[in-house]
Amino acid sequence: MNTLHLVSEVDLIGSDDDYLRRISEDMGLGLSVGELKIIEDYFKKRGRNPTDIELQSLAQAWSEHCCYKSSKTLLKRYILIDVPQNILMGEDAGILEFNDEYAYAVAFESHNHPSNIEPYGGAATGIGGIVRDVVCMGATPVALIDPLFFDPLKGIKSKFLLNGVVSGISDYGNRIGVPTISGMVYFDEDYVSNCLVNVGCVGIVKKSEIIRSRAKEGDLFILVGGRTGRDGIHGVTFASAELSEKSEEDRGAVQLGDPITKEPLIHACLEANERGLLDGMKDLGGGGLSCVIGEMALAGGCGAEIELENVPLKEEGLKPWEILVSESQERMMLSVDPKNLKEVLGIFEGWDLLATVIGKATKGRSLNIRYGKEKIYEIDLNFLVDGVRYNRIYEIKNKEEKIERFNEPRNYEEIFSSILSSPNIASKESIIRRYDHEVGGRTVLKPLQGEIGFSSHGDASVIKPLEDSYKGLAITSDINPSFMKINPYKGSLSAVDEVCRNLVSVGSLPHSLADCLNFGNPEKPLVMGYFHESVRALGEIARELGLPYSSGNVSFYNETPEGSIPPTPVILGVGIIEDIRRSITSDIKGRNPIYLIGETREELGGSEYLKIIGVSGVVPDVNIKVLKRSIEAILKEMARGNIASCHDISEGGIAVCLAEMCMGGNIGANIDLSLMGEMIANRRFANLKISDFQMRSDIKLFSESNTRWIVEVNKKREEEFVEDLKDQGLGCTYLGKAGGDGIRISDKKKGLINIPLDKIRDIWGKGLEKFLR
Amino acid sequence: MAKICVLRMEGTNCEWETFLAFKRLKGDAEFVHIKQILKESEEERFLEDYACVIIPGGFSSGDYVRAGAIFASRLSKLKKEIIEFIEEDKLLGGICNGFQVLVELGVLPGIGEALSEEKKAVLTVNDSNLFECRPTLLRHVNGGKCIFTRRYTKDKIVIFPSAHAEGKLVFGGEDTLEKMIENDQIVFRYTDSKGDYAGYPWNPNGSTYNIAGICNERGNVFGLMPHPERVFYSYTHPDWTRNSMGVYGDGMPLFKSILDYIDG
Repeated sequence: MNTLHLVSEVDLIGSDDDYLRRISEDMGLGLSVGELKIIEDYFKKRGRNPTDIELQSLAQAWSEHCCYKSSKTLLKRYILIDVPQNILMGEDAGILEFNDEYAYAVAFESHNHPSNIEPYGGAATGIGGIVRDVVCMGATPVALIDPLFFDPLKGIKSKFLLNGVVSGISDYGNRIGVPTISGMVYFDEDYVSNCLVNVGCVGIVKKSEIIRSRAKEGDLFILVGGRTGRDGIHGVTFASAELSEKSEEDRGAVQLGDPITKEPLIHACLEANERGLLDGMKDLGGGGLSCVIGEMALAGGCGAEIELENVPLKEEGLKPWEILVSESQERMMLSVDPKNLKEVLGIFEGWDLLATVIGKATKGRSLNIRYGKEKIYEIDLNFLVDGVRYNRIYEIKNKEEKIERFNEPRNYEEIFSSILSSPNIASKESIIRRYDHEVGGRTVLKPLQGEIGFSSHGDASVIKPLEDSYKGLAITSDINPSFMKINPYKGSLSAVDEVCRNLVSVGSLPHSLADCLNFGNPEKPLVMGYFHESVRALGEIARELGLPYSSGNVSFYNETPEGSIPPTPVILGVGIIEDIRRSITSDIKGRNPIYLIGETREELGGSEYLKIIGVSGVVPDVNIKVLKRSIEAILKEMARGNIASCHDISEGGIAVCLAEMCMGGNIGANIDLSLMGEMIANRRFANLKISDFQMRSDIKLFSESNTRWIVEVNKKREEEFVEDLKDQGLGCTYLGKAGGDGIRISDKKKGLINIPLDKIRDIWGKGLEKFLR
Repeated sequence: MAKICVLRMEGTNCEWETFLAFKRLKGDAEFVHIKQILKESEEERFLEDYACVIIPGGFSSGDYVRAGAIFASRLSKLKKEIIEFIEEDKLLGGICNGFQVLVELGVLPGIGEALSEEKKAVLTVNDSNLFECRPTLLRHVNGGKCIFTRRYTKDKIVIFPSAHAEGKLVFGGEDTLEKMIENDQIVFRYTDSKGDYAGYPWNPNGSTYNIAGICNERGNVFGLMPHPERVFYSYTHPDWTRNSMGVYGDGMPLFKSILDYIDG
């Protein structure tokens, strides 16, 4: 076969800047002139120009998405330091200690750009990719997590995006048989430019079966699973630039998902690994074949040779560079000793899956590719994989936080109802029910908790990953973009605080975090400033709590000419619960006393309440020492059997927290706020008169101060509970008692809210539903 | 000990928890890929060697055409063996996608002949037109015909979770439902929390006569939309933190009933 017309030389050496810029644009490389000059220099030393396939492969490997060129410096400074002991390994997924014999794997990343162009396919293949990241460590996936962010559902575009994304997750996740147990759906006008689709996966693996993403000299590279096609070409370079009206033309950069190839592929890969037949395994995701083989060979200290013609194709006529960089789905790469080849091929044959030898690991440190008889590619692996790194300029500029004065509302019921029906608070049942959250039979606490037919939002879900152990994993994910818009530093602290609150609410000890950092264009100093402040906070709080970031991903360029997204660092948290039979849910269980744990301050900035009345305020801060003490105290109370239900206080404050607890239990509550707010309202006003410290009822009800929970205390243990918390030096305030069929809230004899539970459920239940069909 | 076959193909995804349900009760279950009984594999298996075959839930072959249709069409190459299997009073069960397969195959509703060429029922798209995962309450209405549920007393209400897009049972022929009631072929019906027959969401799909599960006239072929294997233990019940119960969940007696029969 004549390959001359299939591969062409690119005239890089000696070209001027204009020409280089044109090359990058014409070939869809997404490389800057400076980057192309580094490449020119490399080839000049070798006395030749690069081929198109070499240049394409470098463009993938050097994309923001693959090599973190804008974020690496700051990540290393703040997040990736002092790696705690419980991280066993970090590759495609982070691996953490579960018990003596087993570890759990966590992977978390974004699939934003594809989901904006093609929401159904983008979201589905996001799940596909994250599951492969967990499987390629040898782990069985046991849970999926999907935090989603959209423009409020006013226009037809946002409904199209939401429906497409939810259907994509539902159709793909349900088919591969991994339960979707956690996530969030958040609405804010600033997501009008880009919606965000983040995907996380947790898996469980025997420590002795953890497998690395590497090859040893002499190994064969076996490509397994799906065929390679023109879908997903330039996926990573497309994800490393701002979207524009022209981006629709890039729909070819979005891959096509095939869950029914994926489902057996998971089984076959894990079976081959369990039988000890593999030296390495890696998933084919961003950047395609060249990235995967390059990284596997480099990690194993060897080189690699690929016979590109052996790659099974979906259709004829693909050019060699297209085969190399295609991001077609449902493919995995195995590195296998030749003596195990037959047995490995047999396993895939048993599942009706393709498995093809496409190359081998060699001596030396370069990647060589042949197409037919022709050698079309030779690059040093270090040059390919290391990429470039930038210290982007950043400018830190927080918006001024000031407390605007406003009048106390006359009608609390009206305000309460508008908060309950706002899309960020309203029931997400219509979305949650579309995901199978219990396939696998391991889901102990589900995303919706409470009496059947009346369930409400829980804080975290709990999975029992092993048949022979009652030890469990609690999983949650959080961020409040409204806080982030005003103060990225405090907003990021708040995210970790909320993750911890959620994990503690179900009775688990926070064990590890993962971060998916979604931001705008990093070449803009203000965006880089948000990023800087966010990672600084994330690093600080995690270090003080002793929690590692096991896995993470940075997604930049989430902006269009319409604007940029709010800084959105989504935090995924995993907690360990020693005995899942002691998990606690958020629904009220009986006619028990109700207590508030934690301090309520006048922190209404970014709150649902102030959004409704349209004034500004101070974003909640976090006292990490108090958080640490609270975690310990609450878990101790739970272990003693003193707590019947527990719910964290977040969006909507105490009012919404109580409503959710009551709806889930289908039991009302009688609440009096008069014992609250006797403490100092806000330290900033320490010079005010004593009478000013009397906190207003609306602030008590709707403040979103961090590190707070509402607990239902077993009535026989009430005294012990109060004593215990006092011993810990923590504030706990008696709020009232569960009972009746409505929520009644008063403050110093002044009645504020008295609404029957059925009506509350109706308002909360229909808040979102009306948008979805 | 009699052998149990947990039959799977690409897209089957509830086989692990189904297999475990038998293992926990010391049943002799094994996974069998459809290729193995269709003689398309070197590791061949034979239907006749099993006392019970269970088709688990999932999305066999993606269910891109009518749910269960492709699995059923592949199985129909073994029609003769399947008829013999049923006529020997061995057990054939299907959960969720497995139920859809058995209906597509023509062994359910199973009135008169073991396998009917003419379709008498179909599991069609839910009234909501969506896949939905929700806890459902079922009343065991069977008078003793169904071998799979003999451990449940009549009128016992159980919680089995549902998770499907196509679970609405619709019959062809005006008197099919009547005949089935007469033959004691109705096994489970959806109810509300008071035990009354109610509409959506208690009946999650709009199924005729609130039917969740049925058996054939012999009582040895059984299909059910909700998932008993997901509530083998009490701690995977949707409301276990508020309504305490023993170690076992509502699903366990179903697997125990199967073992009672095949292991004597």
